[in-house]
Amino acid sequence: MPDETEAPQVLNDQEEAHISSDAGDDEKQVFSDAVRQLPPHAVKDLLSVGVCTRCILRLFGIRGKIYPSSSLSPSILCAVLGEPTNADKHMVENGVQTNEGSGSHHASKELDVEPVFCSICLGILQFIYRDDKGMLVKKNSANNLAASIAELVKREGHHIDNFSLEVSIPPIVLENEHAVWLYMKRKYGSECWFGEKFHSDHISAKDALKNSIASPIETLLDVQSGLSSFRIRLTYSHTKASKMIQNFIQGIEGCKRRKQGTDDVFNTVDGSVVAGVECPDFSSSEADAVIQGSFNALQDHEYSERFKFPPEKVNEPCCLTSLCYRTPIYFGGRYLKYSRNVSQTRWIIDDERMGEASVEEILGSNILSMCQGDNYKFHAAGREDIDVRMLGSGRPFLVEIQNARHVPSEAFIKEIEVKINNLENKLVRVKNLKVVGSQGWTLMREGEAEKQKQYTALVWISRQLEDADMQTVSSLKEMRILQRTPIRVLHRRSPLEREKIIHWMKIERIAGSSQYFLLHLCTQAGTYIKEFVHGDLGRTHPSIGSILGCRVEILQLDVTDVKMDCFLTE
Amino acid sequence: MMEDHRSADETNENSVKTSQQEREQEEELQRLLVPDIHDLPLTPPSAVQSNFVSYFAPDFIKPGHDQYVYRHANGLCVIGLAPTHVAFKDEGGVTAVDFNVGKSDRSGMKVTGKRKKNAQHFESNTALCKVCTKDASYIVRCCVKGSLLEVNDRLIKQPGLLNSSSDREGYIAIIMPKPADWLKFKVSLLGLEEYKKLREV
Repeated sequence: MPDETEAPQVLNDQEEAHISSDAGDDEKQVFSDAVRQLPPHAVKDLLSVGVCTRCILRLFGIRGKIYPSSSLSPSILCAVLGEPTNADKHMVENGVQTNEGSGSHHASKELDVEPVFCSICLGILQFIYRDDKGMLVKKNSANNLAASIAELVKREGHHIDNFSLEVSIPPIVLENEHAVWLYMKRKYGSECWFGEKFHSDHISAKDALKNSIASPIETLLDVQSGLSSFRIRLTYSHTKASKMIQNFIQGIEGCKRRKQGTDDVFNTVDGSVVAGVECPDFSSSEADAVIQGSFNALQDHEYSERFKFPPEKVNEPCCLTSLCYRTPIYFGGRYLKYSRNVSQTRWIIDDERMGEASVEEILGSNILSMCQGDNYKFHAAGREDIDVRMLGSGRPFLVEIQNARHVPSEAFIKEIEVKINNLENKLVRVKNLKVVGSQGWTLMREGEAEKQKQYTALVWISRQLEDADMQTVSSLKEMRILQRTPIRVLHRRSPLEREKIIHWMKIERIAGSSQYFLLHLCTQAGTYIKEFVHGDLGRTHPSIGSILGCRVEILQLDVTDVKMDCFLTE
Repeated sequence: MMEDHRSADETNENSVKTSQQEREQEEELQRLLVPDIHDLPLTPPSAVQSNFVSYFAPDFIKPGHDQYVYRHANGLCVIGLAPTHVAFKDEGGVTAVDFNVGKSDRSGMKVTGKRKKNAQHFESNTALCKVCTKDASYIVRCCVKGSLLEVNDRLIKQPGLLNSSSDREGYIAIIMPKPADWLKFKVSLLGLEEYKKLREV
């Protein structure tokens, strides 16, 4: 591996050369031209206080493809600027040979000098860090860092077409940068290049890092970077620095009381900053904004008083944690349940499973294994008892797969559907399975409480069924009933009386029986059907029993329609 | 034939397919719903029989005061008058029910929330209500120590429910005992068969 721990080593020139061919001669020329425009005394000044080459370049707003390729030693800068390399004694890029040529003579001297960490970025843009095990790692170039990230992605088994890069750096870096800016302003504020180039053009450390490694990762994995459900997250943290911030904040606390505004937000950030947690680089970079806000709130002189420049020598680089993951994928569809011994969700009491299986596990485990995810979550629009079948068009459900290694194609999804539907015991069936975006969730929850449900119950009455009974039942439309919390769930539900509506009912005779019949009914969501049939000791009123004036028992119940619009199509 | 709900943009082929799918769905549904009557018992077990275990407490505290306790699998107990209760022997049967006994009117209490926190804790001999006939009145007691979740306040307006269906709509109250209390109490109760034998019913 062309990176090093502790001792400088020679790079793998082959790999470097291959990637850095992106930076053609034109690029190098543009780069040299841009560098030559820089004010030499200011650059020297920055080098002398321990600012690394990349930080210097980004502070001056120099962009370009030159960033990813190989390392940039201060000697390049000086060589281009035509200045003697005093900086070599103070500052060194970790013993690297460059492909530039002109600086390499000076570079060999640097091998003798102990490496130092950039006083702004703490080594982040020098690609030096401590890994999870505490080992000091020097990647030397963006390409090498990109290579280890690419390897991480492969090792985790991900199949990707694109990725989104997220970087988070400790707030101390922003502090350092601001201190540098103030120093430069004090010293060079009057010069023409200040204000024009400096600060307004500057590239943040985060962006500089991202720009450096994004395209080599793209090349290595043959993918695109940008908006993606696959996230690569680099988190830099620094424990010592946060203590400095703690002092800093305590210093600010004193004068904060005299200022307005950022009270609450700053307070809430206090905890996380002090604990050594760095500000996250997400859309809501509150901590960054707060720190920026605090810069604005404080007078420059107050800031400089508290935050010495040059800052205390940094003896430790940041710790880097890299992780990659895919954001959850949602599968939507409808399921049917043909068994009276299968619960909707996993149901275990005292280590014993209730029922033979669960819809949740059948759907979840099959989809999970097809996507090679970490785990699944099952959500459905309502539910039915273990002994109630779910028939007709089925019930809408969502399966959330976390950290899928594969995003299945439409054809593959069809395969999953067929597989589930042809499982040996045919307990469950799935329809219209497809990947849905985050709107799938709202689609399902929308109006769940208002939706109507249709049922068919197998009913027995204690006398003969008359034609008049069928008439009576059919004539009742939009009938209100009051249901006290059924005794069978009263142990875990609030004792309430709920009003529900039975939209319509119809009796269907069963050939060969005068006391058994099928009752078809359509009710408001949340109605307890079994209790409506047998009356629950009179606690549901009216009930079929009270309507027909006799004892009524329910033997079987099936849900025949869940009247919702979602997941009805392939 | 069900109507096709999709947009008019669907091709004819798709429309036909949908209608066909829906028809198949309907047919499958019909097949699944209609039972084979040969599988059905002449008289099915009642909801109480299926979901509760019936226990009896004969001569509870006082002779002739036979009460039942139906225990659900979830631990709740429905308390009521057994068919051999002495109140039913009076001419005309039960004429009134009064929940205002002991320190409070039992029909006034309101239990709320999943945890049933403000339910009153009663001992087994705590009075639940008074049942009146033409000639006498009888105290009905909790039978099992626990929290009182509900009383059957319908009995106030319809005391006749006790006469017609004391084993169902005429229940007296619902109690929630602690598991330990139930185990202690259970031993003093009779099962259905034992009770029937005892009372020669």
